[in-house]
Amino acid sequence: MKRWQRYTLGVAVGLAAGFGLVWQETGSAFDSGSVTNGIWSTSLNYGIASADPLTRAAVARRGLLALPKTETVYWAASRDSDGKPLDGSCTYELTGKALDSRWWSVTYYDRDGYLVPNDARIWSFSGASITPEEKAGWKVTISPAKPVAGHWLPGVKGQPFELTLRMYNPGPAFVKDPKAAELPVLKKEGCA
Amino acid sequence: MKRWFGPTAVALLVAAAAWHGGLALATYGLMEAAVRKTAADTGLNKMRYNALATPENQPVVRPSPDLAYAACAYDLTDGPVVVTMAPVPGRYSSLSVFDARTDVVFVRNDQQAKEKPFQIVIARDGQAVPAGKEVVRVGYDRGIALVRLLLNTPSEIKSLEPLRRQSSCRQI
Repeated sequence: MKRWQRYTLGVAVGLAAGFGLVWQETGSAFDSGSVTNGIWSTSLNYGIASADPLTRAAVARRGLLALPKTETVYWAASRDSDGKPLDGSCTYELTGKALDSRWWSVTYYDRDGYLVPNDARIWSFSGASITPEEKAGWKVTISPAKPVAGHWLPGVKGQPFELTLRMYNPGPAFVKDPKAAELPVLKKEGCA
Repeated sequence: MKRWFGPTAVALLVAAAAWHGGLALATYGLMEAAVRKTAADTGLNKMRYNALATPENQPVVRPSPDLAYAACAYDLTDGPVVVTMAPVPGRYSSLSVFDARTDVVFVRNDQQAKEKPFQIVIARDGQAVPAGKEVVRVGYDRGIALVRLLLNTPSEIKSLEPLRRQSSCRQI
C-alpha cells in the first residue's frame, strides 16, 4: 500500500470511528443514564448548562426540549427486570403507587422515541387515570389485546418498545434521593 | 509495521475530532432542525399552537400525548422577542426557553407564576429592551420557547383552547 493510501485509510477509519461512536453513544445514553432505579434510568443533567457534550447530544437526539430535573424527571426503560428488551408481543403488568410528584405519566414509545398507532388510541397512563383508592396501589396491563378488566396500555405486536416515566414537579424527598424512590415495577406475564 | 505509525496517529486524531465535531453537529443541528420545523407554517417569532401529539403528529421526538404544546421558534437577529404565558388555573403548565445548544435558559411553571399571566423578553447580550420588563439573556440568536399545558383527558383541549391561545410570541 502506498503512503498516501495508508494516510487516506487512517483518515477514513478515524472519521468512521468518531462519528460511529457519536451515533452509538447518543443512541444509548438514556439507558446508561447516571441514575438507575429498578428498570428505570435517567440523567439528572438534562437541559442544564453544565451538561457534558455527550448528554446534550443524546438529549437532542432522543429527548429534545426536555425540562431540567426541578421541573420534570424523565425515566426511561427499554428492558424488563430480567434484562430482556421490552417486546410489544408480550403481556406485562406495571404496578406502583401514586408517585412523589405533582403529576406523573407512563408513555409507550417505539425504540426511536415515537408514538405508535393502536386502535384504542391510548399511549399513556397517568396520575389522572387512577381513582383516589388506587393511589395506594395501581396496576396497568401492557399488552396487544385489551385485558378483561383494569387499566390498559396497548402494546404493538412484533415491535420492541420503550417506556418513559415522567414526574412533573417531583417532591423534595424524591429530589433528595431519586435512587431510593419507589418507582413502578414491571413484570412480564407471557408472550403471544 | 513502522510505516503504519503515522496513519494510526492520524486515525486517532481524526476520530477524536470527529467525535467532538459530531456531538456538536448533532446538538446544534437537531435544534436548528426543530426551529425550522416549528417555524415552517407559522413563521419565526410566532406561537404555534400544536395539535395534540399522536402517531400522525409528532413534531419532536418523545412527545407527551398528555400535554398540549405551543411553541415559538424565535430569532433575535432583528431584535428581542417578547413571550406571554397564560397559565390555566389548577393544573400544571410551564414556559421554558431553549437556546441553540439545547440548554434551558428559563423555566417557570404555573405555581411559580402564582397562576397569573406573565411576560418575558428574550434578548441577546447588549440588545436594548423596554424598561420594566423581565429579561432573559441568551448567547445565540435562535431557539425555541415552549408552553406545556397538562390535560387530564385529550378531550379537554376543546374547552382550554381559548385560554391556551392567550400565550403568544412576537418580535419587539
